[in-house]
Amino acid sequence: MNPKLNAPQQNPARSGARPGFENVMLRLVKGGPERLAIEAGQIDAIIDTASGSAILLPEAQRALIERKTRFRSLVALCSDWHWEQDEHYRFAARAGAGVGSSGFDDAHIIGKALWELPFDNMSEADWQTHRNQLEWRATFHDLELRRVDRAGEVRYISVDGEPVFDQQDEFKGYRGTTRDITGRKQAAALVQGSDRHARAALDALAAQVCVLDPAGTVIMANQAWRACTAVNGSVAAGVREGANYLAVCDNAVGNERAEGGAIAAGIRQVIAGESRSFSHEHASDSPAGQRWFVLTVTGYRGDGAMRAVVSRENITERKRAEQLLGLDYTVANQVPAVNREPANRVSVANSLLAALPHAEYQRLQTGLEPVTLTFGEVLYAPGAPIRHVYFPIDCLVSLLTAVDGHRALEVGLVGHEGMVGIPLALGSNVSPVRALVQGTGTAMRMEAAPFRKELLQSMPLQRVLYHYTHALMAQFAQTAACNNFHAVKARLARWLLMTRDRVRSNEFRLTHELLAQMLGIRRAGVTAAAGALQKQKLIRYRRGNIRILDRKGLEAAACKCYRVIKNVSGRP
Amino acid sequence: MSRSRNPDKASGTAATTVVVMRLYIAGSAPNSIQAIANLEAICREHLKGIHKLEIVDILEQPQRAMADGVLVTPSLTKVSPLPAANVVGNLNDKNKVLLALGIKGKVA
Repeated sequence: MNPKLNAPQQNPARSGARPGFENVMLRLVKGGPERLAIEAGQIDAIIDTASGSAILLPEAQRALIERKTRFRSLVALCSDWHWEQDEHYRFAARAGAGVGSSGFDDAHIIGKALWELPFDNMSEADWQTHRNQLEWRATFHDLELRRVDRAGEVRYISVDGEPVFDQQDEFKGYRGTTRDITGRKQAAALVQGSDRHARAALDALAAQVCVLDPAGTVIMANQAWRACTAVNGSVAAGVREGANYLAVCDNAVGNERAEGGAIAAGIRQVIAGESRSFSHEHASDSPAGQRWFVLTVTGYRGDGAMRAVVSRENITERKRAEQLLGLDYTVANQVPAVNREPANRVSVANSLLAALPHAEYQRLQTGLEPVTLTFGEVLYAPGAPIRHVYFPIDCLVSLLTAVDGHRALEVGLVGHEGMVGIPLALGSNVSPVRALVQGTGTAMRMEAAPFRKELLQSMPLQRVLYHYTHALMAQFAQTAACNNFHAVKARLARWLLMTRDRVRSNEFRLTHELLAQMLGIRRAGVTAAAGALQKQKLIRYRRGNIRILDRKGLEAAACKCYRVIKNVSGRP
Repeated sequence: MSRSRNPDKASGTAATTVVVMRLYIAGSAPNSIQAIANLEAICREHLKGIHKLEIVDILEQPQRAMADGVLVTPSLTKVSPLPAANVVGNLNDKNKVLLALGIKGKVA
């Protein structure tokens, strides 16, 4: 590199610029910090003072072109703006129409992760859940974030993202879209406020709706509510705006007394913030025959004060259908030979709950509430108190034991066949393991205190849970031995089959990282084992999606532990 | 714009004076993103509220790099307080950055 060779190309206008071109070249050639950094691969571009432009080094050029190509395919998506993150979830690119107004210019977001940006509606735990999703390369939707923009206005955005993999299925980061949903949020807030927009929206609803202030006074009622109160004489109907709903419930007489009391208690709980919602079914007589209603109360915090929204829906049709169904059951009961499904059992998607006699289930049901469990959510941390037990319906929960503080290994898997929170049934309110939601879905949840009370009273519940505990212990023991003795391929096959049984589907989402964690092996081991199963045409694995193609074949490839665990679980 | 040979001299004033820095990057090339992330982390830890950072993308403004004598990116320049200092590379070496910025403090 002789600087003199390049000298004639030097821009005359720049010749006087400091430092001189020759000095620049000399510094590069002589081995200043710049050259050391180049050799260490820490440099992206070199300034060519001759042409007055920047020259990208090959590595940086490749990275930028690769990113640009991937990014272009996103443009077709309709969104306010789109973005891409690198392997460490830091924004590497973003573009779109709404960028200017969003206040998110490059200097603000490039190089930062989402949780480093000034959003004010996410707790540390919320971010942890989000980060778990990312660690597991999950696609996420509608992550709603709130912040105050430069003009001092509150803005909401909604973020969707999906993982990006290269040709070798190596994880390359996330890409996704972001929408400004401030308008929608404002509209929602308007409906919550007590102005005429809200009224118009409420009046359009078929359900009877009213809003109560903390004292129980009806501050707003919709058209359906007003119309119905006029003709219907059932409990707690006939409460006009300005009257006190709680007082009417409290003062109910005769047959309606118990119902009124229950409704008032439920509403007070919601207003006190002790529960988020409450629902109650009741019947009333009308000239057209008996009618049923379900009363749902949800709380929300308006401008500071707590409000309760009471909605009353007519469920007569559903009730009639249920009654007809009940009739069918009775008929079936009288023909024992065709009684394949015990008629006194309730058909619920969780096997433990379904195994309870009808009366027991009915009693338990008052304490059960449906919840959606999201992929990545931590239900219990080791050593932390158990607040709820969960009966999964179509979600999947992994029980993990950590060693050395950070390396986790799966010891148990719970789906619709079981319950999360067994320590509570055994008299301990602390979980020894981490319970991690691995497949998004619903579960029935019950608070710890009522659960323990129910357990003490109910023999059938005890029987069902002890049997399940036995099966779970067998699973723990078998898994421990299996992890130690069996080949990775056989263990992987076993694990896939167990997951299949629990999610009741041949297809589910899993990443190599997650599988490696579950089986306590390195990622490369998973890749090899999954590759072998795929070669045998037992499974198809592509970018985190696993599909079981041949269950019988997979069972043959799995170790015997799968059968052992399944047999113990299936035994009555 | 010479590199400081004695960056420790500035350490006495670093705690109260606003540190003005300029980071030169090349678009969203990997080392540039790394440098931003590293610098943000350092600022959060050591210069909370007492720094001003300007990020110059040399793909858009190459003339600024030339005027400031920057040869390669990423490259960090401390503009004030004097003496001026410069660190090149992706700023993975935290000690080197702290030294150049004149922040006294031993980092493991």
